[in-house]
This record gives sequence, C-alpha cells and structure tokens, in this order.
Amino acid sequence: MKKLLLALPVAAALMVSGCGKENAAPKTASAPQAASAPKASADVLHIYNWNNYIAPETVKRFEESCKCKVVQDYYGAMEEMLAKLSAGAKGYDIIVPTGFAIQPLVKQNLVQPLDLSKLTNVKNLDAGFMNSAFDQGNKYSLPYAFTTTLVGYNDAKLKELKLDPTSWSIIFDPAILAKIKGKVTVLDDSRELFAAALMYNGFSANSTKPEELAKAKETILKAKPFWAAFNTQSYIKELTLGNIWVAHGYSNDMFQANQDAKAANRPFGIGYSLQKEGNTLSVDNMMIMKTAPRPDLAYKFINFMLDGKNSSELTNMIGSGNPNKAAAEFVQADIKKIAAVFPDAEAQKKLTQLGSLEGAQLRELNKLWTQVKTAKK
Amino acid sequence: MAHSKHTTKWLISGPPLLYLLIFFAIPSLIMAFAAFRFPGDYGGLMPLVSTSDAGASTWLINQNNWREFLTLENFLRFVEDKVYVELFIKSFWYAGLTTLVCLVMAYPLAWLIARSARKTRDLLVLLVILPFWSNFLIRVYAWMIILGPQSYFSSTLNKVLAVFGIEPVSLLFSQFAVIVGLVYVHLPFMVLPLYANLEKHDMTLLDAAQDLGANAWQRFWKVTWPLSLPGVWAGVALVFIPALGMFAIPDLLGGTNSMMVGNLIKQQFLDSRDWPFGSVLSIMLTLTVLLLAAIASWAGSRHKKKGKK
Repeated sequence: MKKLLLALPVAAALMVSGCGKENAAPKTASAPQAASAPKASADVLHIYNWNNYIAPETVKRFEESCKCKVVQDYYGAMEEMLAKLSAGAKGYDIIVPTGFAIQPLVKQNLVQPLDLSKLTNVKNLDAGFMNSAFDQGNKYSLPYAFTTTLVGYNDAKLKELKLDPTSWSIIFDPAILAKIKGKVTVLDDSRELFAAALMYNGFSANSTKPEELAKAKETILKAKPFWAAFNTQSYIKELTLGNIWVAHGYSNDMFQANQDAKAANRPFGIGYSLQKEGNTLSVDNMMIMKTAPRPDLAYKFINFMLDGKNSSELTNMIGSGNPNKAAAEFVQADIKKIAAVFPDAEAQKKLTQLGSLEGAQLRELNKLWTQVKTAKK
Repeated sequence: MAHSKHTTKWLISGPPLLYLLIFFAIPSLIMAFAAFRFPGDYGGLMPLVSTSDAGASTWLINQNNWREFLTLENFLRFVEDKVYVELFIKSFWYAGLTTLVCLVMAYPLAWLIARSARKTRDLLVLLVILPFWSNFLIRVYAWMIILGPQSYFSSTLNKVLAVFGIEPVSLLFSQFAVIVGLVYVHLPFMVLPLYANLEKHDMTLLDAAQDLGANAWQRFWKVTWPLSLPGVWAGVALVFIPALGMFAIPDLLGGTNSMMVGNLIKQQFLDSRDWPFGSVLSIMLTLTVLLLAAIASWAGSRHKKKGKK
C-alpha cells in the first residue's frame, strides 16, 4: 500500500505540471528571441501570424527583396495569441491580430505606434476598412485581410432538403434542425457562437445585456441537442467528406472546404452565404511589437504587404476578404464575385466586428459558456 | 568514506529534487497564490507592482488596501454554481471508466507477454511501445477517420445493427468516441507496469497452489492477483490521473456533451484569460485526487491490519 501512497502524489505532481503547462507555454515563445539573439546581426524578421495566413510565394519574394529571412510562428485563436503575448512572449516583429485585440495590446503597452509616412502603400487601402473603432486614425495598426463568420453547407444536401442557409435559423431553429440532426457543427468559440445567437434574436452581436445574453443562451440550449459537436478544428475536413452538412465557421475555411471538395471530385460543393440577420466580421491587422528586434524590416514588410499584387496572393490562396483596392485587379474573377468574401456596400452594413470584453463581462460570458457546454440535452 | 557516500547521495538525488522544486513546487505555489488574486483587465493577473516607463517599480499593494488585490471570490465561484462540481464528477467517471477498461484489457495482455518466450517477449513489449513513435495527435486524428460515418468500421457496424432493426449510430463526436480515445492513448501505461510486475512472479508458487488443490480461478485470485497489486496500483495511477486532466481528446473526438475538467481549465487560461479561476480549478482537482489517494491508502492499511489479525 505504501507504493500507492507514493505513486499517487507523484502522478498528481505530473498532472498538475500538465495543467500548469498552459501557464508555462508562453515562455517557450521566447525561443525565437533566444535563437536570434546570439546572431542579432543576421537579418531575420519574426512574424507571429494566423496559421496559413500568408502565401509562400509572397514570403519568398519578400525574402528576396529585403535580403532577409522570415521566421513564422503561428496561433490558432486570438485568445491564445493574447495570452501568450500578455505573459511576456518576446522576439516577434510583426503580429497580425484581429480587431478586438488591438486595444488590449495597446493598453498593455505591447505594440509600438506606426509612422504612416514610412508606408507609401497605405494609399492602396479601402477607406471603409480604415479608422475602425478599435484604432482611430490607424495609429497602431493597418488592415491586412478579413474573414466573415457564416454558415457553410453541403449544397446538394441543402437543395435536396429544401433548406435555406441565408438565415441563422439553419443552426438555431429546432424545427429546421430536426431535418439535419447530427449533421451540424458550430464553432467552439464563446464569442462567435453567442454573437450568432444574439443576431438571430435580433440583438447586437456585441450585446452584454444580461437579458439578451440569457435569451441567446436559451436559443443555444434549444439547438444544442441537434448539433454533432462544437468544432473549430476539423469542420473543413468533415464538410469535405460529407460527414457534416452545415457548419458555422469562417469564410476562409469554407473557401478551403469547397476547393478540397472540388479537388476530391465530390458530387457536391461547399456553399457559403451571409445570414440575413447579420454576420461578424474579423479584420486582421498588421502591428509592430514594442519589443520588435527589427522594426526596420517590419516596416518593409508592412509596405510590401500593402502592395496590390502581394496582397492579392493571399486572397487567391485562401479566399480571404481583401481591404486593399489595388489588389482587386490581381484577384481571380471567380473569387471576386463571391458575396461572402467580397460583401457589397449593402451587405457590409450588416457586418459587425466583435469588440473586446473586459473583466466582469468576460467572466459572465465564460460562465454562460461553461453552462452551455456542460448542459445535458 | 562517509563523506563521499554523502556526496554521492546528493549528486544522485540533487538534480531530480532541483527539477521538482523548479518545475513543480514553485509553479504550484505561484498557482496557489494566483487563485486568490483578481484577473487583469486584459487577461493574466491584476498587477501587484507597477512599473514606470523608466523601469522603477512600486508596490501597489499594502496592508491597508490588500482586500482590493486578494480575494476568496474565485473559490466562491467554484461552489456557487453546481456546473463545476458536476463537471468534476463527470470527469472522474470518464477517467475511472477509462482506467477500468484499460485494466481489463491490459491484464491478460501483460500476462501473455510475461509468459512468452524471451525473444517474443521483447518483440511484444516493443509493439506495446510502438504507438509512441508517432505523434499523439496524429493517432487521435486516425481515430476520427476510423469512427467517422463513412469508415468501413462504422458502416459495417450500422449494417449489422440494421439487420436487428436498430437505428444507425454515429460513433464520432460522442462520449463513446472520447472513452475509446482515452483508453487507446493510456493503454500502454497500464500494460507496462503490469508486465514489469507479472514478469517477476515465481511460477513455482502456482505449481504449489495447484498441488494443494487450487483450481485455475483460485490460483489467479489467491496467488497472482494479490502479488500483482503493486503493478495494478501503479498502472491505475498512471492511467487515471492523466486521463482526468485530458483536454485534447474531448476537443477532437467529443460531441456537444463531452467536455471534461481539462477543457474547462484550458478554457480559463486560453479562451477566457481568467487565470485566477483556472488556478482554483487546478487546485481543486489536485486536492480531490490527493484526497482520493489518502482515502484509498487509509482503506488499504485498515484492510491490511484486519488481515494480520
């Protein structure tokens, strides 16, 4: 029995250190700094970006033009990136955060102001994407690309079942869901799912009013038994395979899923459309870290990415929305006409960027989210 | 002589002790302290020290205002809504079931390996360890394919069910898939300690038991099983505790109702950036496990005393 006494605390120790890993993880982020520190003379630009969010040929051409090396590190969620940077991760020059993260980054003193006079290509940007509420006057950030959060679907199946994907009712209305039970996934993301449920109920996607959040929670709980999973990781694959017919997700991912379905010669395509109640819009922005080892290369990079052709390559690769007017002529015609990727002026009015939540609001949403995720049927 | 012995002892036990101190004891204390603090406005913790741009730092906290910086609120949150306790119970159930299935599957396997010829034995042990050669996530993704509705496994199963007039079942994104994943990942951790133990058993004891008239079941239950208990306990600890803290498997294989406490803790640190509450959850989990261990060892020692009488 003594062995048990010994074994359990040791194993408990292992487990706790496992949990603590989340806590310690950001420290590993300083690795690029450590790696680059000894050879500070080498020209290396460190970019901390969304996964798969820059075309390889663009990186290659930038490396040639600046005669430097680009080292990329990736994140899969904004909160992951904020957690890592807030914990003191250093060594990155460029980061590409979504709108709502700009203020937290600025207030935590993690980024440096931009000198727009050094960036001659700023003129290429669409005025509609400048001066956002998150960064008036673009003091710290410039738009890079955007995505919309919407519903992607198996076009053959929806046609067969005569279901309309242009309303959020496709993922929230039990009467409609009954026909596609177990074939629907929603994002495993508290902000996005609550925003969709709020808009479905006619509220603002950014509402923090308790009664409106309660209504949204009720909507989610009623729909939950019909969903297959909360899924942010693999819905592209599931859509492409035909395992899932309707997925709440990002426009870029739906573009990818449709490409994959085409490449695999599936008897269906992945369609995606904006919802009439409104959608959330995520504009990702280029910013320079306060601790950037090479701000000079960072400026070169931003100006390079603001060039129309360079900017268009990402849109052609992943179907991302493009805030760059000069990019339009380089974007493939079939992508340019997709409404969800290039929303027209009318549709743009219904797009909302998610604001940043603070303290108590974040805790409240967190609590609602835990209740939603643990609720039994 | 005595001096060198002493030095050797420290040289050997020093590094692991130092490792535990730096990577376990200190982080645990930091975490325990974090549980009493407030979250920062943008995640992390509310600072206790303010640093000016010049680099000079001043303490914000003092003996008059410490209530603004330290709180029991995080612990109250854990008990005021029953969802957290329920999630703990569910996670213990998942981990317990996983441990039981692993034990039932691993025991015969470990026995078989331990009783094989030397050459086969090494090969079999190698096969048990083989899965570790590929990444854990890749192996879980493989399960996503195996359990997916279009796989041969799923479609065959559903065809068989259809013969009996049972509705087709969806295997992926279910609690079943989570348990399958947990068992699959942890099985080697049960096999190896059991094998290490069973291999050392003196086979003549079984012969003696047989000579004295014990049947196969009695030989197992009265001889092999009691002797294998240290291996069983080691395996149980190695499976139960990591399974309890797992979050990747429920994320990938689970459906809408497969969250475990590991997911909740991850959610606090990564998604909600609520470190104090995440710390509270981690501490409660550790304490619960230690409490269970204490109860088990107390029950064990009582049992032993009874046996001696």
